[in-house]
Amino acid sequence: MRVILVGFGVIGRGVISVIKKKREYLKKRYGMDVKIVAICDSSGAAIDENGLDLDLALEVKKRRGKISEYPGKGVTLEATEVIRSVDGDVLIEVTPTNIEDGEPARTYIIEGFKSGKHVITANKGPLALYFQELMSYAKRYNRIFRYEASVGGAMPIINLARETLAGNEIIEIKGILNGTTNYILTKMEREKLDFDTVLKEAQELGIAETNPYQDISGLDTAAKIVILANSIMNMNVTIKDVKIEGITRITPEALTMANKGGYTIKLVGEVKRNKLEVCPKLIPLDDPLNVKGSLNVAKLYTDLAKEVIVVGRGAGSIETSSAILSDLIHTYLQTSKG
Amino acid sequence: MILLDLELKDSPGELLKALTPISKMGINIHSVIHLRERKRDDKVVVRIVLENLEEDTLKKIVEKLEDRGIVVTKVNNNIRKMDVDVVVIGHVVDTDIRDTIDRLNRYGLVVDLDLTMPHPYKESSARMRILVDIKKLEGLCKEMEKISKEKDLLFIKSF
Repeated sequence: MRVILVGFGVIGRGVISVIKKKREYLKKRYGMDVKIVAICDSSGAAIDENGLDLDLALEVKKRRGKISEYPGKGVTLEATEVIRSVDGDVLIEVTPTNIEDGEPARTYIIEGFKSGKHVITANKGPLALYFQELMSYAKRYNRIFRYEASVGGAMPIINLARETLAGNEIIEIKGILNGTTNYILTKMEREKLDFDTVLKEAQELGIAETNPYQDISGLDTAAKIVILANSIMNMNVTIKDVKIEGITRITPEALTMANKGGYTIKLVGEVKRNKLEVCPKLIPLDDPLNVKGSLNVAKLYTDLAKEVIVVGRGAGSIETSSAILSDLIHTYLQTSKG
Repeated sequence: MILLDLELKDSPGELLKALTPISKMGINIHSVIHLRERKRDDKVVVRIVLENLEEDTLKKIVEKLEDRGIVVTKVNNNIRKMDVDVVVIGHVVDTDIRDTIDRLNRYGLVVDLDLTMPHPYKESSARMRILVDIKKLEGLCKEMEKISKEKDLLFIKSF
């Protein structure tokens, strides 16, 4: 299976590390021989149709910061050009999320389908903004499109709802889908610290980003809610349809008040017919949604199985790459059948 | 069988107050179950199991209980009334807390209020427990949204 990887940041490097680690396992278990035929970053690409040396690729990126400096195989081609011209089975798209216009990921994904590749992405931006369009391209070119890693990192939710819970109608999904805000609220509650202090500490620890706006404003959770609404509940919504309130006004006193009444405060995303909402909510202290630290959790209400709850790590390069790997294995198994 | 869930004060005599009007109507009470796991503050939920009744008789029982100040939360698993909790963040007192409560009371009844003011110039927090008829819950939510915009208060809801 020939793979083109676009995006060689934290997640991209995680994907390469996981493929390296699991190479023998994939061969033995599935008969799957994964060759990374191209890796692209903002500097250009490294291309080898016989498969790149993954250790060398990681080393070049670490030492020089640019994959285009890969010895002998580095080029300064644009990613779009690489996707079009390199022969591959699957495009793994893991460029940084852009919630404003979904680019350049949207273009990469579309180019992937147009040039006959199956596409796996971890990117929320294009999915939250152009879900129907991307699905229509996948359908038109008869390609597989998988995006488990875009919601909840390693926590299985999209494929769980669509495959494991197949036959069930998903009536409602409610969950904590952003690890950074959950970490901040947990810390504020435990240590009675104010929001700004905990945010600063989370940034120093690398848990919160330098620009945490998308997390703390609820925008990141809203994007994930939209992906779940469209992909699991067959809705046709965009991020503009979500009512959003973030966590910046939460105080340690409010958390103490909530505790006195038997609750905690969590940033909860909720989707059901006629309701798309992200806002801080009172969650009973003994409720399964009361997960601590940077964990993610989702509760699915279904017609047959009733309530199904999943908890998992919502971030981290290896954790997120595990979801990408499962999509890659699924794609291989689907395509190797015929 | 008819199931009635009542919210009673957890003190002596309260159960008798609820059972007396039912027995005076000559209705057979099959059992009385204390749902102690649902105890909150000083209130306890008691489930009363009655013989099958005509719709009108059931209505009369509920009316009689409510006349005595007893909260009937469920009839045959259909929620009639519920306690909802909210934590309100903002200048809760300075924006006329009395007006806020009066407006919420048009849709439900604020039965508990707890307030903390860390500093005169900082935002305060209040926790309210509101007893609301299920039919009026949407109206209560809309009123909270209105108050939230007018007074720049953040309502964090349990529902």
